[in-house]
Amino acid sequence: MAENNFILGMADLLVAPAPAKLVTLGLGSCIGLVVFDSFARIAGMAHIMLPDSRGRLGAEKIGKFADTAVPSLIEEMLKRGATRPHLKAKIAGGAQMFALPGASVDFLTVGAKNVKETTTRLARLGVALVASDTGGNKGRTIEFSTSNWMLKIKTLGKGVREI
Amino acid sequence: MDNTTFNAMQLDAIREVGNIGTGNAATALSKMLSCKTMMDVPAVEFVSIYELSQHYGDPMDTVAAVFVRSVGGFMCSLIFIQPEEESHLMVELLLKQQFGSKIPFDEIPDYMSDSALTEVGNIVLSSFLNAINLLLGTQHQISVPGVAHDMLSSVLDVVASVFGQMGEMALLIKTELKVESADTVKDVRGNIILIPDPDALEVLLKKLKVM
Repeated sequence: MAENNFILGMADLLVAPAPAKLVTLGLGSCIGLVVFDSFARIAGMAHIMLPDSRGRLGAEKIGKFADTAVPSLIEEMLKRGATRPHLKAKIAGGAQMFALPGASVDFLTVGAKNVKETTTRLARLGVALVASDTGGNKGRTIEFSTSNWMLKIKTLGKGVREI
Repeated sequence: MDNTTFNAMQLDAIREVGNIGTGNAATALSKMLSCKTMMDVPAVEFVSIYELSQHYGDPMDTVAAVFVRSVGGFMCSLIFIQPEEESHLMVELLLKQQFGSKIPFDEIPDYMSDSALTEVGNIVLSSFLNAINLLLGTQHQISVPGVAHDMLSSVLDVVASVFGQMGEMALLIKTELKVESADTVKDVRGNIILIPDPDALEVLLKKLKVM
């Protein structure tokens, strides 16, 4: 059976049953978070932009912030038939696109903060982070396929790898 | 922040700041490359941060970007962004200026082309900032530039994350420069994106006495 393709935009959050391919294009400091349950054959992805909603819950897209996206994605997975002990997570992204020698600019390190907040939230909710490819200074395009539950990561000039 | 945040006079003032900055940047670029440089009238636009990556072209296009941070009376960041291929043409133009004869891009070592690109970006963005700060009567300091070659969408994450902390809209002061030269197969374009810090626009509008 052909896979259904889903392309997620900034701050999108989506859950789909197999067969599905979940794609996010050109992640810089943003995080692509995948949560899946290979027994229930279902997967979800969120395109997280910033670590903390600072209480602005409900007003904005739920996938935008790590503190709202992680619990929402897990909740949506459970609602759609996943079971908690079988949930696994993979993440990619969180690069620092620009580095300024000798200057510390808070928002340029947002990628690292996104990674930290996302992994902390996953741990707190008891979801195993089974693979990750984060940091560095290059953008990533990611594809998660329910055919093999692998996350394919494309980086400019560095080719493709699967985690 | 959206298009009701500022009145028509304030938007005009912001556009004029972009105009003055770009004029100065275009002059600097023209002198540096000894080429005719054209500029567009700057546009002030409110764009959803969720659609930002499509706003400047195909999100997957490879671009070359130079980033600087300016601190002082008007706190902001600036990005000079070009299609990767056109940045190569610009580096060729600059090195021809320096060495007197054209060196094909493929024969220029990476460190040298990046250095040249950074230098052009630095001059363009510094000229832009000098003009703005002169207009406002403010002091400023500019960081060493950072450079990236990557997907447009990844580069624009920087812009989205700054505006994303405040809301869901980005205010873009977008201006295009175009270098015309008989030495290149096509015109070389570059976009300057001005990213004011939160509250920096209020400072700017107060200085210009339209707030």
